[in-house]
Amino acid sequence: MRATVEQAGLGARSELSLPALASELGRARAYAREATAAFGFDVERCEDVVCAFNEAVTNAIRHGRPDEHGRIRLSVLDDGERLTLAVRDYGTFAVPAEGTAPRSEGGRGFPLMTALMDTVELRVEPAGTTVRLSKARA
Amino acid sequence: MGFFYISDDASADGWDDTDDIAMFVAGGDIDYDASPKLRECLADRIRAGARRLVVDLSKVTFIDSTAIGVLVGAVMRLHEEGGGTLAVVCAEENRRVMRIFEIAGVDSLIALHRSREEALLELTGAS
Repeated sequence: MRATVEQAGLGARSELSLPALASELGRARAYAREATAAFGFDVERCEDVVCAFNEAVTNAIRHGRPDEHGRIRLSVLDDGERLTLAVRDYGTFAVPAEGTAPRSEGGRGFPLMTALMDTVELRVEPAGTTVRLSKARA
Repeated sequence: MGFFYISDDASADGWDDTDDIAMFVAGGDIDYDASPKLRECLADRIRAGARRLVVDLSKVTFIDSTAIGVLVGAVMRLHEEGGGTLAVVCAEENRRVMRIFEIAGVDSLIALHRSREEALLELTGAS
């Protein structure tokens, strides 16, 4: 399920609904890779975004809740200057955003996202959780 | 897409694993889907007595935080078993894996080497 819409003044937005399964992570990365390449990022910046996005999708699969069809929603917004990728699930569990203990096995996803992106926004609402990752062109 | 492999049989490359030293060669994408396999491989060899582990990630095309967590978990397991070392090998040209390791900041727990030879020299030299 995929759609791309050109909205006047709002840039190009595409959406992808994906089964909330670990085996779908490769598909989520391919989606991000395609979007970053189309935006014109160099290889290094493309892969930074892909890696951050993979972490956000992983969190949604591990800790979030899918919709009634077992899916989560991915989207990309290209406003010309900035690329914003979002992951939405329907749960309200937020992974702690603060740093992790060096010897802990988990908790590295969020710090990795913030290191790789310009901004990471986490919005927890009663209807679900959205993580937005943005990176500017320059 | 999502392809991952790991082998703990590096004998084809001229390695002779001992009971104490185990060499792993991984490749492809290590994500949340693949990391249980990595965890299982490392745990099996630790259970069998390996205390010095070398994991060659040179051919890994993607690595995420769960894979880093699995490696840190193996180090903790070695500590629980009375001590041991886990070293990661990553060829210098693999900038992606190097970058994620640098950001993850696990260098106090996991030594990063450029080649298997360098890693083994460090492990056996320190014994």
